Amino acid sequence: MQQQQGNLDFEYRYGFAMPQNYVFKAKRGLNQQIVKEISWMKKEPQWMTDFRLKSYDIFTKKIMPTWGPDLSRINFDDIYYYIKPIDKQASSWEDLPKEIKETYDRIGVPEAEKKFLAGVSAQYESEVIYESINRELNKLGVIFCDMDTALRKYPQIVREYFGTLIPPHDNKFAALNSAVWSGGSFVYVPKGVKVSLPLQAYFRINAENFGQFERTLIIGEEGSQVHYIEGCLPAGEKISIGQTWANIETVKPGDFVMTGNGYLSKVSKVMVRKYKGRMYKITPISPVNSFSLTKEHPILSIKRKDVLVKRKIRNNWLPEVDSKKLVNEVPVYRKVTELERGDFIIFPKPKKQFLKQTLLTDEEIEFLGFYTAEGSLHFHKKLRQYIVALTFSEKEEENIERVKELIFKITGKKAMVVKSKEKHAVTIVIYSLKLHDLCLRYVGKHAYKKKLNDEILNLSNTQLENFFWAYFKGDGNLFIKTSSGSHLYRASTASYELAIQLQEILAKIGIFASMQFRKGGEDIVLGRTILRKDQYIIAFTKPKQWTEVRETEDYYIVPIKKIEETDFDDFVFNLEVEGANSYLVKGFAVHNCTAPVYTTDSLHAAVVEIFVKKGARVRYTTVQNWSKNVYNLVTKRARAEKEAFMEWIDCNLGSQITMKYPSVYLYGEGAKGEVLSIAFAGKDQLQDAGAKMLHFAPNTSSRIVSKSISKSGGRTSYRGLVQVFPGAKNSSVYVSCDALILDKESRSDTYPSMKIKENDVTIQHEATVEKLGDEKLLYLMSRGIKKTDAEGLIVNGFIEPVVREIPLEYSIELNRLINLEMSGSVG
Amino acid sequence: MLQLRKLSVTVRNKKILTDIDFQFEKGKIYAVMGPNGSGKSTLAYSIMGHPLYKVTAKSKIIFGKRNISALSPDKRAGVGIFLSFQSPLSLSGVKVYQLLQLALNGKKDPIAVRSVVKKYAQELNINEDLLSRSLNDGTSGGEKKKLEVLQAAVLDKKLMIFDEVDTGVDIDALKSIARFLNKHKNGKTYILITHYNRILHHLKPDKVLVIIDGKLKKVGDHRLAEKIEKLGYEKVIKN
Repeated sequence: MQQQQGNLDFEYRYGFAMPQNYVFKAKRGLNQQIVKEISWMKKEPQWMTDFRLKSYDIFTKKIMPTWGPDLSRINFDDIYYYIKPIDKQASSWEDLPKEIKETYDRIGVPEAEKKFLAGVSAQYESEVIYESINRELNKLGVIFCDMDTALRKYPQIVREYFGTLIPPHDNKFAALNSAVWSGGSFVYVPKGVKVSLPLQAYFRINAENFGQFERTLIIGEEGSQVHYIEGCLPAGEKISIGQTWANIETVKPGDFVMTGNGYLSKVSKVMVRKYKGRMYKITPISPVNSFSLTKEHPILSIKRKDVLVKRKIRNNWLPEVDSKKLVNEVPVYRKVTELERGDFIIFPKPKKQFLKQTLLTDEEIEFLGFYTAEGSLHFHKKLRQYIVALTFSEKEEENIERVKELIFKITGKKAMVVKSKEKHAVTIVIYSLKLHDLCLRYVGKHAYKKKLNDEILNLSNTQLENFFWAYFKGDGNLFIKTSSGSHLYRASTASYELAIQLQEILAKIGIFASMQFRKGGEDIVLGRTILRKDQYIIAFTKPKQWTEVRETEDYYIVPIKKIEETDFDDFVFNLEVEGANSYLVKGFAVHNCTAPVYTTDSLHAAVVEIFVKKGARVRYTTVQNWSKNVYNLVTKRARAEKEAFMEWIDCNLGSQITMKYPSVYLYGEGAKGEVLSIAFAGKDQLQDAGAKMLHFAPNTSSRIVSKSISKSGGRTSYRGLVQVFPGAKNSSVYVSCDALILDKESRSDTYPSMKIKENDVTIQHEATVEKLGDEKLLYLMSRGIKKTDAEGLIVNGFIEPVVREIPLEYSIELNRLINLEMSGSVG
Repeated sequence: MLQLRKLSVTVRNKKILTDIDFQFEKGKIYAVMGPNGSGKSTLAYSIMGHPLYKVTAKSKIIFGKRNISALSPDKRAGVGIFLSFQSPLSLSGVKVYQLLQLALNGKKDPIAVRSVVKKYAQELNINEDLLSRSLNDGTSGGEKKKLEVLQAAVLDKKLMIFDEVDTGVDIDALKSIARFLNKHKNGKTYILITHYNRILHHLKPDKVLVIIDGKLKKVGDHRLAEKIEKLGYEKVIKN
């Protein structure tokens, strides 16, 4: 008992295992047998099996590249080379297994699909499990599918191009990919067809130590056009910051959040990481308070089985609990996988700490309660008068009288009463700037936007009760169950923020209220059809508490109604809070993340081959944000024929080491090649990126724009090669590489290389290295901008020339990721 | 409004300003004059809180009733100080709209900000193209100064320091800047750091401060500026 009244700092248990239910998982490491098995599993033609085996042989003989970053930590024997997640490949969205659909719902693929109406091909581990090919694409003869399907359905095309631009002996990782490749996309655009909407694929690494070896082949026939994108999208959860909930991703170091003991504490660090695995959604009896978390966040909880009464199970009920035992039971931090329906989680009562003396009188508080429920603010233009109006049903005589009385006491003015017969309503109107400003300041205006300010939330309990019951008289209603005689109180509001605040106020005055959501739409009230906004319903019983919720001095014990599991692969957030090891998510106490950082490293070695035929145009966009333990070693190459145009847009933020040099072989006269790249290296990261342009024909032109940013000890390198062969007359070369270094610990290097064997060439080379100086920061800060925001502004401005080439939702995502990296928050 | 007490400033261990004591009053216009390298800009930077300009322990910068000498520049902007830079650096990829939006920290509606910016730009004869281009990137000296003045007006601080807002500005631009500053004065305090009397013809200072070798050597009314123009600093100080 004593322990419960003190801080809610209980011990919790660590130790997790990652369950993986894959259909097939090859053994770690690689040998001829595994290569054969992969090919056999995929039922591939003999030529592909031979190609794989030959490539494996080359892989074993090739030495590691020694000219670039240190790759000695890669242990090829410690990697899984093939994992197949599900049996059959789904051909439409509806056919997908529910849990996978939910994963994609989270990252917004269906929206993206709606928006683009083009094919979305999402890669889950190594197999493409879902793709929807737009009918229009089909009609045009465009093929967009995963590489394995392409090999089955279009063997001739695949065989003609596969591995011809990047042969296995090109480099060790191309050889490895050729031996064990799995998944990736195949795009074929017929002659003259212009695909106006981008084709997108989502890549992911889900299992630890699992190498990703996708293989992409794009063929743009004569005069065709296509844009292909690989990338990622985000998700978030609301956490309590005292007066209201904030999206966890908007919380920054220095902000205050409420901790598990009900006090506000300062956030010292916000950590973000890529998470792949199960996500658990807990729904307590109050549905709006449901929240999602990974199992690395233990939750303060009580097991039902520990507090049972010795009685037989009746009807189909959950076993009954002994309230006394339950209230005396010490809650423990448990991981979500140990919890089930009927167990209890802890909803701490908010404690007051910044007790501000309020200047509000009791009358004003009561009036604000009424206003919150029924009031609106107006400005009379002709009279130039500010108006407060409250509308009641004509039956609420008592409330009407009370409000009039309050108005007189506060303003000394008499309110007008306007009766509207047909609406059965009475409106109280008062011209008062004082009252208008009072309402605006403490509650705000518009029913769906009302939000109480801190001062109200910090009122004493008596004052809060005064406020709440006035509010309730306006917006609430009371049901009396005749059978049990229990009283159910319900109030509904269109403002989400307000609903949460009311729940918090109730928690302070000793009531746990459940919260439900009711979707808006058409409704009929007193015979009139109205358009109702979304409603949030707060409900509780009194004097008897909501039957299932128990109360102690410090917290409420709330039963879990439902726990749902989904697959998840995205960013998850975690906070480090000063002086506490827990914080509230949707009102419930959750422990800091205890996820172990993977100690072993993953490998991503993809190969992308693109053939751009005469007059065709292909653009390939990448937004890469692998987790910080991935070796990202990708070979990308395109061949541009006469007057063809190839563009690579390549943004690298994640991974431990990246080595990526997209290249264009300009074979045809008048061909154009372009590489626009962004590299961001934070702590312990090395981004070795660049470009390669080979001019074989006359009148060819190439353009390389590279922007790199290094921070907190990160390293970026630009490595570029431009080669102009004899006879490539009148060619032009443009190289611009800019580096931005944000602090003294970070570093940037440039290794430009030009081999020009032709005299008739125009060459332009610009390189800048900028250190983020005090002057620029001072300039922005002198405008009132915080330091981290100022840095973010400079960095986003620096990469703007590349970002503007990226479709909007990716560029927004990229800016957001960079701002996150900038706030020094990467865990 | 702003009080400097024993303000001494060093930059990389070199002393630039020594024991400046002065009280700036609300709603007045001040001119700070002095030869090159006398420490005028240092004064501006140390009021704004430049991290390289170290203020000695005894120095006090009091704004309102608060000693702000330990606050970061963004906090000082928060209490109501604006600095128009002598040579604002170019910020590639950062538009003036973006900057002001962030500076106002969502306090104002983005559309309202846009219309105010547009209105002020017209008053200052700033080409609208400049508003959606990278700030100070490839813009002429005069345009840079106008953009500084524009930001000052939008951010609307109680104390505005203009560091050589008249340098590198042609006569028409100077006139429109001065006209604009007069129009939007509204009880604010201006500190004009300048070499010339030129701008002071349009914006009449209540007081003129002369800084030489890091020391506040003389304070007078607008006639002091005229004298300096005629006789030069040395003679004025000797008299």
